[in-house]
Amino acid sequence: MIDIAKFKPRIVYVTYIAASPERVWQALIDPAFTRQYFFGFAIDVEPRKGGAFRLLAADGSTHVSGEVTEWSPPNRLSVMWKAVGMKDFGDLPECLVTYDIAQTGEAVRLTMTEAHQWDAPDDLLSGGRAGWPAILSSLKSVLETGKPLSIKMEPPKEMLAALERLKAR
Amino acid sequence: MDKVFRALADPSRRQLLDRLHADNGQTLGALCERLAMTRQAVTKHLVLLEDANLVATVRRGREKLHYLNPVPIHEIAERWIGKFEHTRLAALSDLKKVLEDSDE
Repeated sequence: MIDIAKFKPRIVYVTYIAASPERVWQALIDPAFTRQYFFGFAIDVEPRKGGAFRLLAADGSTHVSGEVTEWSPPNRLSVMWKAVGMKDFGDLPECLVTYDIAQTGEAVRLTMTEAHQWDAPDDLLSGGRAGWPAILSSLKSVLETGKPLSIKMEPPKEMLAALERLKAR
Repeated sequence: MDKVFRALADPSRRQLLDRLHADNGQTLGALCERLAMTRQAVTKHLVLLEDANLVATVRRGREKLHYLNPVPIHEIAERWIGKFEHTRLAALSDLKKVLEDSDE
């Protein structure tokens, strides 16, 4: 049994978006949105606590699978993530990804927290460190201008090397 | 965006961001260790950094943890770095890293 209290936030990213909480929530759970800002991945989520969660690549393969641990529209979405579709990522312990949406004046404050229950080394977190700011700024751009940012990202070399080292241990 | 530049204009605040970059999720106490700043000064800088959205905080039990939030810097970069420049700039920054490391 996974104890959520044991998960410690390792990455916390915040962005302000000029949109309503409901629109931001929609952008998080609607595949038509996520495809635009989440490196092309389509979300597939059962809208309830305990529901299944997947991120699907364009070819239909599963990139990340997981389980919804909190479903409180339009304020909080929490998902236990397990990377499955990436080579070498399969043995990694799951991490907890939480989105918090809060109205602040005219804008919405969106906080993304990536929490781990083990002392994941920094180089292993480097993929998320590089990826999340791009995802969040692109999400902001989709909601505010209707257009995603055209960000080309290389595979996270440092992270892949760290995974190799982890396997060799 | 003004707030971000103002926050980054101060070397002490950049030093605090460096400390969080090296070790994310620190308490105020941990951040104050080995720094030539009073606790009050660190608190003041952290408030400014949080106001500029460069630092995010999370309450965990009785602790308040501080995290580096690079999203505003990413947004600044996106504004002026065209979509075709990424690869070239990455190559230059790799080159700089290699050359500077070999000097050590």
